[in-house]
Amino acid sequence: MIPKLCYFLKLLVFIILNNLILKLKLNIDGLLVYFPYDYIYPEQYSYMLELKRTLDAKGHGVLEMPSGTGKTISLLSLIVAYQKAYPLEVTKLVYCSRTVPEIEKVFNIIYIFITHCIINSYFKIAFQIHFSSVKYLSFLALRFGKEVDGKCHSLTASYIRAQHHSNPSQPVCQFYEEFDAVGRQVPIPPGIYNLDDLKDFGRRKGWCPYFLARYAILHANIVVYSYHYLLDPKIADLVSKELAKKSVVVFDEAHNIDNVCIDSMSVNITRRTLDRCQTNVETLQNTISRIKETDAAKLREEYSRLVEGLKEANVARETDMYLSNPVLPDEILQEAVPGSIRTAEHFVGFMKRFLEYLKARLRIHHVVQESAPQFLKDIYEKVCIDRKPLRFCAERLRSLLRTLEIADIADFSAITLISHFATLVSTYSKGFTIIIEPFEDRTPTIANPVLHFSCMDPSIAIKPVFGRFQSVIITSGTLSPLDIYPRILDFRPVTVASFTMTLARTCLCPLIVGRGNDQVAMTSKFETREDFAVIRNYGNLLLEMSAIVPDGIVAFFTSYIYMENIVASWYEQGILENIQRNKLIFIETQDAAETSMALEKYQEACENGRGAILLSVARGKVSEGIDFVHHYGRAVIMFGVPYVYTQSRILKARLEYLRDQFQIRENDFLTFDAMRHAAQCVGRAIRGKTDYGLMIFADKRYARADKRGKLPRWIQEHLTDGSLNLTIDETVQLGKHFLRQMAQPFRQEDQLGLSLLTLEQLQSEDMLQKIAQIAQQA
Amino acid sequence: MFVCVCFRCESCVEMLFVRGSGNCVQCNTPLRKSNFRVQLFEDPAIDKEVEIRKKVLKIYNKREFDFSTLKEYNDYLEQVEDIVFNLTNNIDVERTKQMMEQYQRDNKDIIQRNKAKLTREQEELEELLLQDHQDSEQRRLETLQEEQRHLQAKRINKQALLDELEISKLPAAVLLAQHKDRASQLETQIEKQKQNVKPANIFSTGIMMGQTVSLASVSRVEEVLYVYQLLCIDTYGPPVLELDQLGRLGYLNHVRTASPQDQAGGYTSGLACHRAIQDAFSGLFPS
Repeated sequence: MIPKLCYFLKLLVFIILNNLILKLKLNIDGLLVYFPYDYIYPEQYSYMLELKRTLDAKGHGVLEMPSGTGKTISLLSLIVAYQKAYPLEVTKLVYCSRTVPEIEKVFNIIYIFITHCIINSYFKIAFQIHFSSVKYLSFLALRFGKEVDGKCHSLTASYIRAQHHSNPSQPVCQFYEEFDAVGRQVPIPPGIYNLDDLKDFGRRKGWCPYFLARYAILHANIVVYSYHYLLDPKIADLVSKELAKKSVVVFDEAHNIDNVCIDSMSVNITRRTLDRCQTNVETLQNTISRIKETDAAKLREEYSRLVEGLKEANVARETDMYLSNPVLPDEILQEAVPGSIRTAEHFVGFMKRFLEYLKARLRIHHVVQESAPQFLKDIYEKVCIDRKPLRFCAERLRSLLRTLEIADIADFSAITLISHFATLVSTYSKGFTIIIEPFEDRTPTIANPVLHFSCMDPSIAIKPVFGRFQSVIITSGTLSPLDIYPRILDFRPVTVASFTMTLARTCLCPLIVGRGNDQVAMTSKFETREDFAVIRNYGNLLLEMSAIVPDGIVAFFTSYIYMENIVASWYEQGILENIQRNKLIFIETQDAAETSMALEKYQEACENGRGAILLSVARGKVSEGIDFVHHYGRAVIMFGVPYVYTQSRILKARLEYLRDQFQIRENDFLTFDAMRHAAQCVGRAIRGKTDYGLMIFADKRYARADKRGKLPRWIQEHLTDGSLNLTIDETVQLGKHFLRQMAQPFRQEDQLGLSLLTLEQLQSEDMLQKIAQIAQQA
Repeated sequence: MFVCVCFRCESCVEMLFVRGSGNCVQCNTPLRKSNFRVQLFEDPAIDKEVEIRKKVLKIYNKREFDFSTLKEYNDYLEQVEDIVFNLTNNIDVERTKQMMEQYQRDNKDIIQRNKAKLTREQEELEELLLQDHQDSEQRRLETLQEEQRHLQAKRINKQALLDELEISKLPAAVLLAQHKDRASQLETQIEKQKQNVKPANIFSTGIMMGQTVSLASVSRVEEVLYVYQLLCIDTYGPPVLELDQLGRLGYLNHVRTASPQDQAGGYTSGLACHRAIQDAFSGLFPS
């Protein structure tokens, strides 16, 4: 109960502090918006204006605003106000974020927001984060998510519950029974529920929080969850299917949304998957022959259902979460299952043939790349498998698993994956490619065949979302260049805008270091990256910076291998030792536990003494979700341009596809991808207007117009011609000057009227004019 | 009817069928050495099944449009599946074989016809794939060419600069000629690559060489012919004036007269007037 108490105390403190007064009441284009702070940033006002326009037009929007300028609160206050003003136009806000810490951050903002603004009980708000963790309530002893799922399913599946009716000794889940009996009729009290609250609520009532959450989504005004619940077709079908059309969907931190889409539709099959699948098939076969002896009626019943082409009735669909099919055209779902896989034995035989075929394909010694039609043709020639039964594969397997009443579905993930692959490969002829690699690139001697069924078109996964919901907002701190997102996601936004940060003082200082003191060019270009002069100059740069920057420095490398190489040669050259005289060094590794340990100690070191240096990797965990506010990151150094590994065949296929379908040249996309990651990395240091930090781009290629032009506008603005191709010495000079200036006391009054506005200031005429200039339409 | 589907290793095959043919030691079927195939799959049962399936599908080659309803087609598919299942697992082999023979006799025509159709469809599919491949190759070359052109333009600029610098020492004509030579060489190289992409085995009609073209006439579609019926609209009010009455009754005096330019396209002011009157009358008196 202690966390609960803490929460109430927090609430109480808030209320006392703020004397129950609504903070700002804004008039945004005729809409009354409650804003929970005394002051507002001009760009927030501008952001809300654009957002309102998007909602009015019932269209989609792409909005870029620097991190630390209060995107989330602006989004929330405007959309909630809109919801309140036009309850029939917008019924629900679905807020998607990428990682758990980010989701929790949104939560805290909502706490503040709700406690300040909405005193009446109009809002009933439920949140849920990760379903699988909610399930832990009843099975605390199990370690793996899959096991939890399997156990849960074995207690709540519809047939288990039916058996329980006739045979009370059959165990069922008490929590679910309780929920099923009363949970749906009793409304959940209005409020804010995060994961723990929901668990707590469930425990008190004796209801299963997992099903409670799934049910509550339909009634909540605001839902906050992870991308995957909307984008991954396997989960979205289950969770988000019944969300109202009139919802507003927000994808926050959406700079990587195309990769999420692609991942959710791609399938990788290894030899191990196939071996596990083999055992699955054998289990199926045995179960079928056993059931045939004991309960043949059951199979007959399934058979007749399939003959009639009846879709499985929706009864008890809720608990039977076998495998939702990947996105299929509706006409397929209405049709009857083809005769060749109608009976259980035939279907198992079919799966066996498919499996053997895949095995044969994986037994190759050279790389094969082919399109889906080629694959289908080959499979027809080799094992006589037609396209149509393949399309029904996932659906048919689901039906079979249900009929066989296999309670423990955790083991069947392999065959499920294969069936998904079958359905996808026969459904989509465009936008996918099949790549079979006999070994990994790094270990060409060890045979490790993998079949990549790789999606190249992110618009396939996100298309249902754009089609379904009236407004989808894509927003992040780094979305530049803005026009590329609508192109690769294939949608037509009504607003595309980028906002700059209004600053009372220039608190960010981007510098491009192109040369060492010896005038040797610094670059992570492939040809010169192993060059001793380059490595030494990188070392010198870090050494010099460690001497002048107070507290924390974060350094990003382009890859783990490159970081290891560089650190090793720094050690040999004695640079590391010199750096350690100034600061402690921490390193991010591929191991998540190790990294979080390093991060914790790094923060501890920043609090004490002379500070620390964190060496990490662009595209790694640190670069994506960890903020380095204030003294945790006074300087960010980006060693090299973080290009993705260009030799990967999957990437090559995707680039080719982009070129053919969207007329985006390979180089443009690679640069775009590298620059968004670079911007993401350096953006980690500035998390607000009182924060300040150096941003050092250590590669001469950043100075080129094509790279520089792809940085977000709020960084580009502060890149002067004088800071384009600096040597290390010059960088140190500029850095020293900047840090000294920034270290002067900075009070709120300095900001007022410039980058922080009161209501009166906001209403003045010339301020409104200034605000109009903040947004730049792309 | 079926070649025996027993399995043995390569050296045994060599030894047993020295003379090229003989009887299977397991099931006593007469066999030929040339009929032995290399095992493709890990599970020999699958190899056997696929072999049988291919034979069965040669006979049972009806397609979806040979059936009037989907259900019949599905039943047929299941029947095929049953046959394959029985033959693979040695259930009722004799009876099944008889059944197949019976079917083959009964449906001789359809089997022949579908066979031809099937090969044609296969060819079409192949052609499509080839086309795809060629297209992508073409595009690749085009972009390559584009890039090449950019590079060349750059090089020309550079060269011009150099020429200007060196003009006092060497006659510029020599340098230019060399440069031109090089450029034309590059051009021909690209051109050659382009030539390679174009397939040589295509007739001017776009039909692939070696592809069978079906000479069978297109089957006639029996349908009821369309009969035009005059459209009759009841406005539930006074009758709407006909087009030719408008001028006589002076309605046309109230609309803009058509200019010669308008009339060139077949427009008359009567048309607009008639439309307006129709609009006015429809919905005036609800039924």
